[in-house]
Amino acid sequence: MADHNDPNAVNSIFSDIDHSPADLYDLFGFPSEDTTGGEKVVIALTFASVPSAGTLDPDMLYRIRIAAHPRVPSLSEANHSLEGLLQYFDAVKEKYLGELKSSEIRVTISQDQRATVKFFRFPGGNFSTTIDLNKVTTLSTPDGHEIKTFVGGRDDAFFNDLPGFFRSINYAPQFYHVPHTMTEARELPIPKTLIELDGNDLFNYDPSNPNLGVTVKKDLPPGPWTWKGNKFKKDENGNFRFVYSGKDAQAGKNVNAVIVEVPLAFITRSPESNRIVNCWGESWVLKAAHKVESIPDHPLLLEHPWALLEAAAEDEELKKYKLVDTDGQPFADAALSEREDSRQMGANNFWLGPHFIKRLAHLGWGFGPSISALGLQTSFNHDNSPVSVHKTYSLVAEAFPRAKKTLFQALNMPDDSWNRKGLDIPLRRPFEIFIPNVCAIDMDTTGTWPYGRRLEDQVATRFLSMFLDMEAELNGRKYHIETLNDQALWDGAPIVPKTPPNPLKNDAEFLKEFRITTSSY
Amino acid sequence: MYHRASIRGDYRDFEDVERLINKAIGLRGAKEDLCLLKANLDFKLHRVDRVKSDLAMTPRLAGRPEGKALMADLLFQVGRYSEAGESYRELVRESPSWDNLARLAYFQFKMGDVEEAEKLYLEAEDELTAKEMRSYAWLELQRGVLDLTYGRYDAAEEHYRRADRAYSGFWQVQEHMAELLAARGEFDKAIELYGRVLARVPRPDFQQTLGELYAFIDEPTKAEPWLDRALAGYLESVAAGHVHYYHHLTDYFADVRPNGPEAVKWAYKDFQLRSNYGTQAGLAWAHYANGDLHDAIVFIELALASGVREAGLFSLAAKIYRAAGRDLESEQFRSKAAAINPHFENFHVHR
Repeated sequence: MADHNDPNAVNSIFSDIDHSPADLYDLFGFPSEDTTGGEKVVIALTFASVPSAGTLDPDMLYRIRIAAHPRVPSLSEANHSLEGLLQYFDAVKEKYLGELKSSEIRVTISQDQRATVKFFRFPGGNFSTTIDLNKVTTLSTPDGHEIKTFVGGRDDAFFNDLPGFFRSINYAPQFYHVPHTMTEARELPIPKTLIELDGNDLFNYDPSNPNLGVTVKKDLPPGPWTWKGNKFKKDENGNFRFVYSGKDAQAGKNVNAVIVEVPLAFITRSPESNRIVNCWGESWVLKAAHKVESIPDHPLLLEHPWALLEAAAEDEELKKYKLVDTDGQPFADAALSEREDSRQMGANNFWLGPHFIKRLAHLGWGFGPSISALGLQTSFNHDNSPVSVHKTYSLVAEAFPRAKKTLFQALNMPDDSWNRKGLDIPLRRPFEIFIPNVCAIDMDTTGTWPYGRRLEDQVATRFLSMFLDMEAELNGRKYHIETLNDQALWDGAPIVPKTPPNPLKNDAEFLKEFRITTSSY
Repeated sequence: MYHRASIRGDYRDFEDVERLINKAIGLRGAKEDLCLLKANLDFKLHRVDRVKSDLAMTPRLAGRPEGKALMADLLFQVGRYSEAGESYRELVRESPSWDNLARLAYFQFKMGDVEEAEKLYLEAEDELTAKEMRSYAWLELQRGVLDLTYGRYDAAEEHYRRADRAYSGFWQVQEHMAELLAARGEFDKAIELYGRVLARVPRPDFQQTLGELYAFIDEPTKAEPWLDRALAGYLESVAAGHVHYYHHLTDYFADVRPNGPEAVKWAYKDFQLRSNYGTQAGLAWAHYANGDLHDAIVFIELALASGVREAGLFSLAAKIYRAAGRDLESEQFRSKAAAINPHFENFHVHR
């Protein structure tokens, strides 16, 4: 659920909400291995395959927004305070709402299932073309660049143990029939945890109903939906029970996608200095009033598959649509913004900064003690609590001291392969990853998360690693973002099943045509 | 099944829905979604006394936006207009969804603030996407009704046509279009369209309308069979224990086949279910038909005190005051009716 089933308006986990083509799943972005003719960046926006994989909904409009800028120094140690953090959010806001203008790739689908792809505000000017679905097409831009484009169906590039994650946060709609109107029956007020709580009968694995939360849902029993226990569950052998199974819940599932491979020189006139390519996706649905008008595809576009566009045309078109979903960072919406419809801000999620701190502290009280119980060190200050705690915050000043290290710690990488040029690139820190909510692709790296997002990245497990103490060591090595993906760790842990939380690989290749090679990390 | 029944418009389908809801509650217990559906069904069928208890079957339902919306509708339906208006405004403040905006729009329309109503309907439409075309068609229908009520026939037609494009073949649009055609005097087209509606939805209230239309154009021999069928349908429904045709029976015996005592009987039954400006006006009209002008005036004044501003209500008041010899008041209300809808004496449907 990098962004699957978010926002709640399209969250088909609820018993009364259908799958929607407006549900954006993931945004991937990384430097292409193909540097013929200059550097290129691959961006893939995936979304629910409704009506079906390879067939797209003509009522939808998808946008990929792109803005390139230089790499900026990380916040200094002296500013690792609440005040410093809030000032950082303000500074980023100024950047995004002020000086930084995004370029845009916009895709709409005609009734005869052809995609109109429009490029707005790139240095070379606006242009548009119409392409077939489900085929890689190379577009020539007015200023002589080539852009590989694909719009159509693919295997879902995301691979994770979705039920495991929902079990960890006691998310009732995954396990029980919950209509979206029952707002109090979403994340139940039970401590979040990575290992099962003793007596958490609503969510603990039930051997007599092993598919509960996977393919089976039950009626939600009457409340109170709380937990009265005081310890983690252990079996007769003294093992904890993992909430995760390591199984790929997305195996065999397909998505629809907009994928582009764009030359950096097309995105920015200063590719040497603008090394960070920020991108995020949006889904928009045609408003009912404009559906009635049944405006045919613009005759200009039908007669001339390649055409220059008037700049003013973009906003007039957009007025006919309604924004539904945004996607930049995995988990920014689904895990940290709780899927709220009103929190679909995309890059402009600055005002969520204080909420982000409180939410991270809430998650920390759940995950932190369960990490400690496994004998690992956590970045979250839970005062050595022996068991996970359900705690929410109304004041950011109270949450901040707990989550400070989690927010500011540098996320170690397992080796240096991500930094392919060996440059002085600072390690990324959680606070700068999630706000703004963009996929920030560092063109001097492999683009592995959090320097972008590659198709092979197991981001769900990497997200959990934020709660590890990156100063601690395991077998003589500092913790890093892949620590929880290490099978050896689980083999030695008092836990069953002995598996990394999520699968290590996708069940199928996403796309070959963009010369994607698997990086080390 | 509820949605299918709503689309089909045949009240007999709702009996199946009700059986299924009760069975589901029996099997699964009083789940919120089931209780909300039950409350909506009871509301639709004018069983307003049951709505509150339906919502009370689960502890939180009445406090949810959907429960609050239904409670606001209930306040409107039982004539507590000031509270209903405040509830609608509160709903829109809390949750400006298309349906809540439409609720407030309808309230403003009935209270005579047409400009505000139109603005709210437009806002409601702006909330809807291409995935909600039936709702959009319904809103366009309401906007058409508003225009028709104010005698703006061309604007009404435009809205009805948009509704038809949004959700083609929707019988409710055809039925309203037929009314518009009849109001315009295009009787042949109206009759043809009513015939098509009746072929799909053979409801007694539509049979009555077609019968009345034939009577209006002085074709009694064609009118009578439809009126007979309508009455049979109403009485069959009542015999089955349903109450949603009381209002039509009142009109039927007050207007179509005048029978004062019968009109008063059904009007009282309806009034006892829900005392609102519509049932009060119905009772006033029934008393008028029964020759009891004193009670007719009592109830028309009660209806007028609601604050509702409708040409039909004012026209009724004008007739009752004239019969009572209060010509000055009669003329005032007639003028008010004409100010709202210059064509208020044209053919119109009893709803």
